[in-house]
Amino acid sequence: MLKYIARRVLQVIPVFIGVTLVLFLLQAVIPGDPVKMITGERAMSPALRLQIMKANNLDKPIPVQYVIYVNKLLHGDLGTSYQRGRAVRDMLGEKYPYTVKLAFAAIIIEIIVGIAAGIISAVKRYSFLDVLVTLSTSVLVSVPVFWLGMLLQVFFGILLKQWSGGQIYMPISGAGGLSTDFPDWVYLVLPAITLASVSTAYAARIMRSQLLEIMGADYIRTARAKGLTSQAVIWRHALKNALIPVVTFIGLDLGAMLSGAILTETVYNYPGIGLEIYLAIGRRDWPVVMGGVVLVVVVVMVINLIVDVSYAFLDPRIRYGGAAE
Amino acid sequence: MTMLLEVDDLRMYFHTRDGIVKAVDGVSFTLDRGQTLGVVGESGSGKSVTAMTIMQLIPMPPGKVESGRVLFKGADMLEMSEDQVRKLRGNRIAMIFQDPMTSLNPVYRIGQQIGESLRLHKGMDRKAAAARAVELLTLVGIPHSDERTKDYPHQFSGGMRQRAMIAMALACDPDILIADEPTTALDVTIQAQIIELMTELQKRTGSAIIMITHDLGVVADIADKVLVMYAGKPVEYGVKDDVYYRPLHPYTWGLLDSLPRHDVNEKTALCPIQGQPPSLINVPSGCAFHPRCPYATSKCRSEVPALRDIGGEHFAACHYAGDPGFERGVIECAGVGA
Amino acid sequence: MSDHDHIPHEARDRQETLDAIRETGQPFPPSEEFELHAGDSRTLWGDALRRMLKNKLAVAAVVWLLLMVMLAVSADLWVPQTFGSPTKIDTTTIVKQRLIPPSMGHPFGTDDLGRDIFARVIYGARISLAVGILATAISIVIGLIMGALSGYYGGLIDAGIMRLADVFFAFPYILFVVALIAVLGKGFINVFIAIGILGWASIARVFRSSILSVKENDYVDAARALGASDLRIMARHIMPNAVAPIIVYSTMSIGGAILTEAALSFLGMGVQPPTPAWGLMLNDAQNFMETAPWMMIWPGLAILTTVLAFVLLGDGLRDALDVKMKD
Repeated sequence: MLKYIARRVLQVIPVFIGVTLVLFLLQAVIPGDPVKMITGERAMSPALRLQIMKANNLDKPIPVQYVIYVNKLLHGDLGTSYQRGRAVRDMLGEKYPYTVKLAFAAIIIEIIVGIAAGIISAVKRYSFLDVLVTLSTSVLVSVPVFWLGMLLQVFFGILLKQWSGGQIYMPISGAGGLSTDFPDWVYLVLPAITLASVSTAYAARIMRSQLLEIMGADYIRTARAKGLTSQAVIWRHALKNALIPVVTFIGLDLGAMLSGAILTETVYNYPGIGLEIYLAIGRRDWPVVMGGVVLVVVVVMVINLIVDVSYAFLDPRIRYGGAAE
Repeated sequence: MTMLLEVDDLRMYFHTRDGIVKAVDGVSFTLDRGQTLGVVGESGSGKSVTAMTIMQLIPMPPGKVESGRVLFKGADMLEMSEDQVRKLRGNRIAMIFQDPMTSLNPVYRIGQQIGESLRLHKGMDRKAAAARAVELLTLVGIPHSDERTKDYPHQFSGGMRQRAMIAMALACDPDILIADEPTTALDVTIQAQIIELMTELQKRTGSAIIMITHDLGVVADIADKVLVMYAGKPVEYGVKDDVYYRPLHPYTWGLLDSLPRHDVNEKTALCPIQGQPPSLINVPSGCAFHPRCPYATSKCRSEVPALRDIGGEHFAACHYAGDPGFERGVIECAGVGA
Repeated sequence: MSDHDHIPHEARDRQETLDAIRETGQPFPPSEEFELHAGDSRTLWGDALRRMLKNKLAVAAVVWLLLMVMLAVSADLWVPQTFGSPTKIDTTTIVKQRLIPPSMGHPFGTDDLGRDIFARVIYGARISLAVGILATAISIVIGLIMGALSGYYGGLIDAGIMRLADVFFAFPYILFVVALIAVLGKGFINVFIAIGILGWASIARVFRSSILSVKENDYVDAARALGASDLRIMARHIMPNAVAPIIVYSTMSIGGAILTEAALSFLGMGVQPPTPAWGLMLNDAQNFMETAPWMMIWPGLAILTTVLAFVLLGDGLRDALDVKMKD
């Protein structure tokens, strides 16, 4: 087990190097003069220009720049924004809590709705509910997330308000904070539903197919032959096995959500890290983009690592090493 | 006193889009306390489905019991409520399955899985069930059983898992143990050990056994009675010595001829039946065995032979069974390579 | 144990029955004589086609996609003539023509610049279908090469390629596409190139595992012993076994590519105005959600139904070809 964890941790290193390298190369080949991005378009003397390049290590060869960058990264220094002049770490630190809140809200929806829908649909196979779940998951995975967000905005923010004479509606933008219209958590509801939609559909599908597959397993027949009720067979014997891959999927999905939700955050103008990185790309603020992506990639890798290890923990076949034969 | 188990004209059909599959078509037998019945046949002959139907483990639909009775101590199980059947399952009638590798739940400890029936049917608490699970594992010959109950199935070898399955089945001291090809998935040396274990435990507990197998050799050692099935139908049924030494049906002859024997020289030792068992959707007309039967006549192709008593509770479903001169001869082993 | 969930109903019923009545042990050698049961002589592809045709959702998806393709391809012949140009803005009539709700002359209404939304949706299909197919084609080409190198040669090459795939999987997908577009520049061509480049890793994994499962077979060894070249072994022995999962995977990834293109255009990083792309139309519609909701309804429905059609078609193919894959 320890060996497994150690091997998994070691695998992270090349991926981390690869990710930073790819990002760094992307940044290096990007069209445009970085000095101009720092200073704007105004004219400057060659001496000043050189000074700015030196200050940002832009005068050194790219491999050297890369080593300097990684070295700084490892010391927790993500650099300074070109246009804002602020430390990238501080900028991201402000936004990240919003992304974390949104991700956890979405994951809670995914766990409750996705698993429940999958179980109902598998247990009541071929029933109306099963058909409903199966069809709606197909539709949900095909809906553009941003369009779903817009539909929810129109319904809960505009139509509901009109019908109720301005009494009942949901906030469709921002994250609360200074606004006193709603408690802060209400601002999370629609973005969380939007962000959770696709993953919830997948979670339900996996739950369903796993449960159906396991219901055909030999050990389920054994359990029935023991005289257990069908409820006991499903809840005690099938579900525990079926949940392993679902939990894995949801864990990986949490990682993906923690990496920021550009589309959801853009539609709802929600101040998370996805929106921040997206805006930075638009203004070519590469230190922010790099720092943001490195941050989320590290988060994703750590979460994936935790998921892998807990998968091993959930499944005794891995937890207790190889089979006897 | 009533028979322990009496199966009478049992028919289990599967209704599929491709047609009706008559998986079990008129099976009857009786089983007394402490007896062993061997059910023999090729793949798809309906022997497993017969067992699963008795246990009512067949999903319905697509399965449907078309007719028949399954009398356990005189009470028809097919008339019972699901709850009543459930209380018999794993308690009075237990079953062990073919593949011990996949028949145990991978995420529960062996001890938990054995203890489950005890808690369910005997109302034991967790502790008592765990203690009894250790005893049961010892009983089936697993050393260090107090530690091994805490193992997960993947930590057991195939033979040990089958022993654990047997322990699980015997937990509630059942009247009947149905063993569905319990040794097929195991190594030859382990097969013998498992069979030996089962007979030994039967002597101790007095349970009756229904041994399902495609191997007449397995049955030879332990059965009191033998039921031979072909394409869902019983073709021969009687006490073991009758079926082995005075077989009446050409299919049984073929099965016996395909056994490895010590008394015949190697060239003729193995003489398998030609051809394959039929698809149960397109059962041949007349006697289902006629396309593979070297003695088939036009009557065999058109008329379904009934299972009839040839004499002394020895049944066979062949038009010519018992006719003078219709005897098991040496069939030429054509087309079988060295 | 076969994965029952992936088999369509009628086949599933049969499968369940066969499972239920299956008993192992084959004491007798097989013979040709009795193998001819009703209709068993079908080939894999014939069987797959038969199963596809029984899957109503998949058939509906094919019909829908064919209709889309026909409308998109023939658009020049009838759309501008009937509904007006999908791109041109007529400044003289814009005040009268803008934001007209769906009506006889404009079945889907008009947008804020007075253009017919139906015309724009039809022309938008060209972009979406083209990006979806071209991007997937790029992913397949790169994915097949990488997967082949990885699965066939193994060792260091395999480790290197699979780590590279890990790197691609570690990136948050949309962020990565957006970043790549920032490098390549906006526009139609760069969009499908970016989506295509990022899609190779999954296909490489699928192909690699197909290769690994076939490679160990004796007939591959036999072919190698007979002196067949690597390319020949790949083409004759490995590809036929890998085709089904790749077809299924590609169909599904066309849908994914269309979604990504729409997202990029929505973010303003994709196809540029005035080209009619569905995502771009939704971006425009954001400012008129209250006053002209029809602006967002039709392009959204167009994306949804097209992607859904590819998803259902992919599901249907997966069932028909009996390909097992993770959801």
